[in-house]
Amino acid sequence: MKKSAFSMSPRRIPRIGIGGPVGCGKTMLIEQVVPLLSLDGYKVGIISNDVISKEDAERMRKNLATEKGLMSEDLVIGVATGGCPHTAIREDPSMNISIVEEMESKHDYLDLIFIESGGDNITTTFSPALADYFIYIIDVSAGDKYPRKRGLGIETCDLLVINKIDLAPHVGASLKVMERDAKRIRGDKPFIFVNSRTGKGTKEVASYIIKDVLFESPPWTSNKN
Amino acid sequence: MNMDNEISLEDLSFLQLSDSFFPTGLYTTSNGLEALFYEGKLKKPKHLQDLIKTFLFQQIGPTDCTALGNVYDCINSSDLAEILRTDQMIYSMKLIEEVREASVRSGIQLLRCVNSFVLGNGILEHYQRLVKNGEASGVYPVSFAVACNSLSITKYRAGLMLLYGFTITVVAAAIRLGILQHLEGQKVIHNLKPSILSSVHSNIQKPLSSMWQFAPIIDITQIKHEQMDSKMFVT
Repeated sequence: MKKSAFSMSPRRIPRIGIGGPVGCGKTMLIEQVVPLLSLDGYKVGIISNDVISKEDAERMRKNLATEKGLMSEDLVIGVATGGCPHTAIREDPSMNISIVEEMESKHDYLDLIFIESGGDNITTTFSPALADYFIYIIDVSAGDKYPRKRGLGIETCDLLVINKIDLAPHVGASLKVMERDAKRIRGDKPFIFVNSRTGKGTKEVASYIIKDVLFESPPWTSNKN
Repeated sequence: MNMDNEISLEDLSFLQLSDSFFPTGLYTTSNGLEALFYEGKLKKPKHLQDLIKTFLFQQIGPTDCTALGNVYDCINSSDLAEILRTDQMIYSMKLIEEVREASVRSGIQLLRCVNSFVLGNGILEHYQRLVKNGEASGVYPVSFAVACNSLSITKYRAGLMLLYGFTITVVAAAIRLGILQHLEGQKVIHNLKPSILSSVHSNIQKPLSSMWQFAPIIDITQIKHEQMDSKMFVT
């Protein structure tokens, strides 16, 4: 019998969980950050937990793999979670872990694996067995009250990203209020204002990843060479 | 007959592994139910009950339950080579790719979980080593049998847990899809108890060579589900 694709992997590759409500810009943030990481030579895989379609995974595969050639197409995988995205990243992350390990087995040269999952601010949080670093993303169109409404996502994430800041004046959201509340709720933990459509703030996100997840180490493949 | 005060650690292990909270990822699967739902072929609790009966008597009973029984027999006779053969045979009988992959993924995660708290069980360690080396697939019914045995759960009880767990997974998926409501779901489970028992009794003692399955419409539905663009569940 050939070696199972699902065997336990030899090397644990750093994993970043990206959570946030549907439509907040998780996929676009990844599409902005991956090319920035690629400029520094980092190689990335992506697992997308979509609630009911493969659309996000297919879009990232087309944009990042097929068109930009930043990764092979099999490095973007869509996962169905039985309608339970919160469970799939926290209480029972078995399926996600299995897919991460499959990726680690087949592509042991990767520097990072992104695990994207939809989820509201109340319950979204990644199991440490699944993700080493947690980015939670919200957008201003849901109102400037969002940070102060707290919840596991906003309070426990390693990095809070507030997206679509260009929309603030159009939806009556005050960035000053969001900044004040994010500081109050999160203390010393960082947050960033971002416009994923234009790329504003995404360099900072990439910098946090390089500093806090990769500890500014060079790409794995350059270590091996 | 058991006395009312005869309770044991094995009873608690039986509850632990049959609890839907136990992390195997099986809640992500619908076994093709989602495709049937979108085709408008599943509208009433009775339809769901009949579908699960078909699974129990014509697919998962005569395959997975028989494989589980054989693994127990192999462990009793210390026939490790036969466990490997059972793994390979049941793996090859899972015709639909997504079903096969989900079974392997769940089986491996189950093994890993049980291995984190059951220490020093030779068979469990041996089988996990075979999976790690790529010699065995880790397919769910074999992993489940090895795990249950490591917790001193008896063969028949393990068979019950396997088929009961399968039934729960499908009913839970049906509730999430809105095919039936929570009270109806419990009624379906209650009504299926005799079928679960009957399927265990019919299949768990059979030799490996007698494994069979015949549920072509379910197979075709699962293939269709595999190809759906928009879906909540793994097949």
